[in-house]
Amino acid sequence: MRTPFRKTAGKVALWILTFVLMVIMCVPGLWVVLTAFRPNAEVLAKPPVWIPEDPGLTNFAKIFGFAADQVAIPVPSYFANSLIIALTSTAIALLIGMSGGYAFARYRFRFKNGIFLGLMLSRTVPGIALSLPVFIIWSKLGLIDTKPGLIIVYVALNVPFTIWLIDGFFRQIPKEMSEAAQVDGCTRWQAFWKIEFPLAKSGIASAGIFAFLTSWNEYALASNLTRSTDSKTLPVGLMDFTAQFTIDWAGMSAMAVIIIIPALILTFLVQKHLIAGLTFGGVKG
Amino acid sequence: MQTKRPPFWQREKYTPYLLLLPAILTILFVVLLPLIFSFYTSFTGYRLIRPESLWQWVGLRNYERIFGDDDFWAAFVRTIVFLTIALNLEFLLGLGIALLINKITWGQRTLRTIMMFPMMFSPILVGYQFKFVFNDNIGILNNALESLGLSDGAIPWLVDTYLANFAIIFAEVWMSTSVFAILLLAGLFAMPRDPIEAAKVDGCNAWQVFRHITLPFLMPFVFIAMTIRSLDVARAYDIVDVMTGGGPAGRTELLWTLIARTGYDNARMGQANAMGYISIILSIAFTYYFFTKLIASRRYMGGAD
Amino acid sequence: MTTRTLKTLLAATALTGIAAGAVSAEDVDYGNFDGYTLRVKLIGGAQYEPLYARISEWEEMTGATVDVLSRKNHFELDREIKQDIAAGTLDWCVGSNHTSFAPQYGTIYTDLNGLIGEATLAEFQELALQNSTVDGRLVQLPRHSDISNLFYKKSLYADEDNKAAFKAEYGYDLAPPETFDQFKDQAIFFADAPSFYGTQYVGKDEAITGRFYEMLVANGGQLFDENWEPTFNSEAGVEAVQWFKDLYDAQAVPAGVLNYLWDDTGLGFASGTVAMNLDWAGWASFFNDPANSKVAGDIGLVRAPKGSGGLRSGWSGSHSFSITEGCDNKDAAASFVTFLTNHDSQMIEATAGLLPTRAKVWDDAKAKFAADGNDFLVEVFDTYAQSMAEDAFTPPLIAPWIEVSNEIWPRLQSAILGEMTAQEALDEAADAARIVMEDAGYL
Repeated sequence: MRTPFRKTAGKVALWILTFVLMVIMCVPGLWVVLTAFRPNAEVLAKPPVWIPEDPGLTNFAKIFGFAADQVAIPVPSYFANSLIIALTSTAIALLIGMSGGYAFARYRFRFKNGIFLGLMLSRTVPGIALSLPVFIIWSKLGLIDTKPGLIIVYVALNVPFTIWLIDGFFRQIPKEMSEAAQVDGCTRWQAFWKIEFPLAKSGIASAGIFAFLTSWNEYALASNLTRSTDSKTLPVGLMDFTAQFTIDWAGMSAMAVIIIIPALILTFLVQKHLIAGLTFGGVKG
Repeated sequence: MQTKRPPFWQREKYTPYLLLLPAILTILFVVLLPLIFSFYTSFTGYRLIRPESLWQWVGLRNYERIFGDDDFWAAFVRTIVFLTIALNLEFLLGLGIALLINKITWGQRTLRTIMMFPMMFSPILVGYQFKFVFNDNIGILNNALESLGLSDGAIPWLVDTYLANFAIIFAEVWMSTSVFAILLLAGLFAMPRDPIEAAKVDGCNAWQVFRHITLPFLMPFVFIAMTIRSLDVARAYDIVDVMTGGGPAGRTELLWTLIARTGYDNARMGQANAMGYISIILSIAFTYYFFTKLIASRRYMGGAD
Repeated sequence: MTTRTLKTLLAATALTGIAAGAVSAEDVDYGNFDGYTLRVKLIGGAQYEPLYARISEWEEMTGATVDVLSRKNHFELDREIKQDIAAGTLDWCVGSNHTSFAPQYGTIYTDLNGLIGEATLAEFQELALQNSTVDGRLVQLPRHSDISNLFYKKSLYADEDNKAAFKAEYGYDLAPPETFDQFKDQAIFFADAPSFYGTQYVGKDEAITGRFYEMLVANGGQLFDENWEPTFNSEAGVEAVQWFKDLYDAQAVPAGVLNYLWDDTGLGFASGTVAMNLDWAGWASFFNDPANSKVAGDIGLVRAPKGSGGLRSGWSGSHSFSITEGCDNKDAAASFVTFLTNHDSQMIEATAGLLPTRAKVWDDAKAKFAADGNDFLVEVFDTYAQSMAEDAFTPPLIAPWIEVSNEIWPRLQSAILGEMTAQEALDEAADAARIVMEDAGYL
């Protein structure tokens, strides 16, 4: 009887230890969440107020314009923009990534390695170096301050990594399975959707979550390519809390919570696929 | 009867190119085209507020100025040091976290979600967050240290040379360790149990198992993580720009903050783009290094083509 | 979710009661622009937005619609306008501007002389219009002005122990400082780091360049000579830098001060942990509001101190509105900016403590404060009126000002941190500034 008990106790201890460590790691982020529910005066107080004396939803009320002294931040439209832009660009990046990843996994062709490396290296260009030339070209094409303008950029940002993950994934699936289906009368196209796509789902899901998080949180390019509520995303909206003279840190934290929650929920939902996806996608290139 | 030759887009030989076409077109349009434009401007005296200066060819003057500029080289070296320290710390911490979580059997999904919590934070938000954490007067860190009696003065976290660089590295590591942890955890999951069991039977201790079996197996994942991270390290720009803006007195100046100030505040786009090119070469070098390591370790694993 | 919603939101927060209590609208015909959509880019932020609630009034009056393309803080807006110049997308009519930024933009903004009636312009303060003029063109209509004066914690100066101790140590009576030397003495006297500081200053960007510049002038120096040759590495300049450094070394200012901008200094003073604060008028009502500030009711105010040249520091500037040269309906734009700077509009801004640019609003605002029993704001307006009249000067109104500033401030930081001497730092900055001026065609 002793040994199983010991084992369980050990497990519990390990779990608690890990949990505590994780929480410590999260403290700087949790502090933001806590700040969201406190008045600004308390946040900036010295000596510090550790335990909120007056927690409440005032900051959120202000953001949505329920408080008299502040113009509402157009969060609903920022939120809608962010959601549309992040989801659409993720979906397109996945389609392009599947198509490209399939090509790398299933075919031999000239310049294969060169094209692969070229796609990867395109991601090394820092956003700040890209922002102005993209801005000038976009303005000639009328893409400034439009959702498609930002979506195209995010697709390009996410395609390299998506191709990489999905490529690795398709390689895991034996060629023979798709060939067998083709012998049974499927076209290659049908074989792909019926056989290979379902098997690669986790890889696609994990590529998807990475792409979504990148688009959802991107700031440097969005701040240059958006102008108004037609296209401004949530991270750009954070800057609405900075004025010439003041930073409304409590308000910004409340906005941060609004940004974080959807991402957190989505991540939790695809957890299972995420790990599985990275596992197979990565090992063998 | 001879079948008609199918049109070229249906020929097997061209299929991979067709499949890759959307990806290549997107990258050409969003990355390469702008790069060609900015490459051209790096040879001009282009200033944002004078559009006609786009045609003012100055040859290599921008590059000459940069190469002779001590501030630029200081930022260049600082960027390399910043990247090296940050990436290695992220790797070590990420490995520790992954090993720990891998041992957990119950409630792991919750812990994994908590582990990924920092990934939900936009870089710009991370910047503001740590600007307030490290604030010398009302910052949570100094307040905590004072409350605990560990320090009796306001520590100038964002001013002192070492502390300010520590602070920006801390913020960067906080934001990105999760990426390492999740990728390494995936690696641990993929690991076959047999070699470990066999080693244990042979009397290896935990450290030996880790050193000779687990770690080599993980190496491809490490390099994947390194490659992915070195691809988008420039995200750190948002953080540093908000926390210190490269200051004080240029003590935390990285290439990216220098480029942004030269290009936008001073409106010298030509010169900024010349710096941009040098920074791109730097990221390519980092990425290429990890990529070749990745290929090599894959070969070692016997998993390559 | 574009103009209409924004309008409603703005209208919802209208400061009721102010417009009603003020003098009736002036006899200006704002015209009829039925069906026209005016595209504007405005500065955003809590201090600036109450005014925008009036936009819907103008729309009703003229039949036009206002499309607010962006509302950003000034540095973001500056970047955006530069991008618009670069891309040739100046397809909007009205933009927020500032006297320090305006010279950079060249000729994108139209000359308002002639576009806006002489009678209207005559109601503005002479100096404010003068500072809004670049190369003989009135490129902006000033909305409100800014200058700094010295806020201090009154109770500290009333305390008998403080008085006695100060007299014993420095040999003169403790009273709010008249010179920068006294300012320094008292800051060091009151400081008790890390729980209490004598004063603080902004430590980076154009902010510290501006502070350095006004002390340079107060000490009898100048940034450039008449040929645009940098001359700030003079004795007056070194003295100014030394002032910052001495306070830093004595820990009379917070250690993180080199990262401070206006929000940090303002919030610092409001937290009650700082004795004196040289700051803008826009903070006055914030400092005296018990909900935000621990020093509410305990604030004194004196004019900015004098430098060794006998002048007071008076770095000043105005927020303003400009109309683009390419605007497709300049009359509508002129009507719009006139409306946003008219008497009633400026009364709204003055109530928050912002300094009006119309002479009459100064008196009317003061009368209103007196009627409301707000003695503090009366005192604020009295003090600031005096400094606006006697001390105010702007940075050189030249295109490369921001660029010159970017060469100066990192070196000021180096000197304050002791990485080089004040003279070395200024010499180096002057050399770099000379190159900027050469490139810009001034030398």
